[in-house]
Amino acid sequence: MRATETERRRIERDLHDGTQQRLVSIAMTLGLVESKLAKDRPAIGPILHEARDALALALEELRELTQGIRPAILVERGLAAALDDLGRRAALPVQLHVAISGRLSENVEAAAYYVASEALTNAVKHSHGSEVRLAASCDGAMLEVEVADDGIGGAGDGGGSGLRGLADRVEALGGRITVSSPAGRGTTLRAEIPCG
Amino acid sequence: MRVVVADDAVILREGLARLLEEAGFEVVGLAADADELYALVERCRPDVAIVDIRMPPTHTDEGLQAAKLIRSRWPETGILVLSQHVQARYAVELLSTGTERVGYLLKDRVSDLAELSASIRRIGEGAPVLDPSVVAQLVGQRRKGDNALEDLTERELEVLALMAEGRSNKAIGARLFITEHTVEKHVKNIFGTLRLPQSTDDHRRVLAVVRFLNSQ
Repeated sequence: MRATETERRRIERDLHDGTQQRLVSIAMTLGLVESKLAKDRPAIGPILHEARDALALALEELRELTQGIRPAILVERGLAAALDDLGRRAALPVQLHVAISGRLSENVEAAAYYVASEALTNAVKHSHGSEVRLAASCDGAMLEVEVADDGIGGAGDGGGSGLRGLADRVEALGGRITVSSPAGRGTTLRAEIPCG
Repeated sequence: MRVVVADDAVILREGLARLLEEAGFEVVGLAADADELYALVERCRPDVAIVDIRMPPTHTDEGLQAAKLIRSRWPETGILVLSQHVQARYAVELLSTGTERVGYLLKDRVSDLAELSASIRRIGEGAPVLDPSVVAQLVGQRRKGDNALEDLTERELEVLALMAEGRSNKAIGARLFITEHTVEKHVKNIFGTLRLPQSTDDHRRVLAVVRFLNSQ
């Protein structure tokens, strides 16, 4: 599991520092060409525009790709900010209660983030609820993340295949995930991950 | 207008410098990290510093921290933060240190030299500039049911977005092909509907709008 996270990190850095930068550099060159030539050679304008549009699309796609591998906000600001961001972007209203100060280890941050993200996605897709509570706290030894919706409950054991993979990941860090989903009383997912 | 460029990637730093010179800016220095940037700003006192958000040593948000420090220590220097990913929260943080001479744009915008240089000039002249995608993010976050944005018309939402980008009534009017007077009426309605304090100051209203959009 640790190797996977290191690998993700490497891929994200390679894309950010390599491919993305090269594309931006090409964008600059195009900008320069346009500035030098477009006035005297108006026929070039539409062609350059086409190239620029294609490049903008490539950068956009790359951004989404790196976002999926390792969200920029998690890299740049850590778990508390990334969870806040997740809550704000969710398709359901999210009550956020995040009490984490400073940075945790990269593996712990990533595991907790993906657990919260998957649980939120499940709540939006399957719970038929109207609101989600996302709580995360760290007392220095144990990180606790809880995602609770007010939906129909009755989620099967483990709460789906996406979560199974994440449970493995959390267990590899010495933690565990529990899901409680009584029919009619919402679903609560709880992850505990050692962070000392 | 005198500018400096800070980016740890040589190809981007030098590429941007070449581009800006082409657009008529005087590039007075290049920096590879925040410390070099501070020294450069102290020595050259540029009109605008253009700063990549990720720089050594941690490659996280050094550029943003540098921007905040420059704003407090050399307030007469404008700042444009460039990023490969746009985060609305960074824009909010940047604006919370003051809305004058500050901008936050997606790095991709360098391909449109005319728009980029217009943005830098606006910052140098004291205005705030925000990437349209920041505004789209903020508006997207807000549109989840019971909030005041629902009470705005489509046209008012368009005006709101352009306002948040830092554009003046005149520029908004030109963009939407309506008169400045009509823009003023829309702005008045928007501020009334959102219960924001009225402000005729373009800079301060950017902050008001962004704060509103960011609140939950």
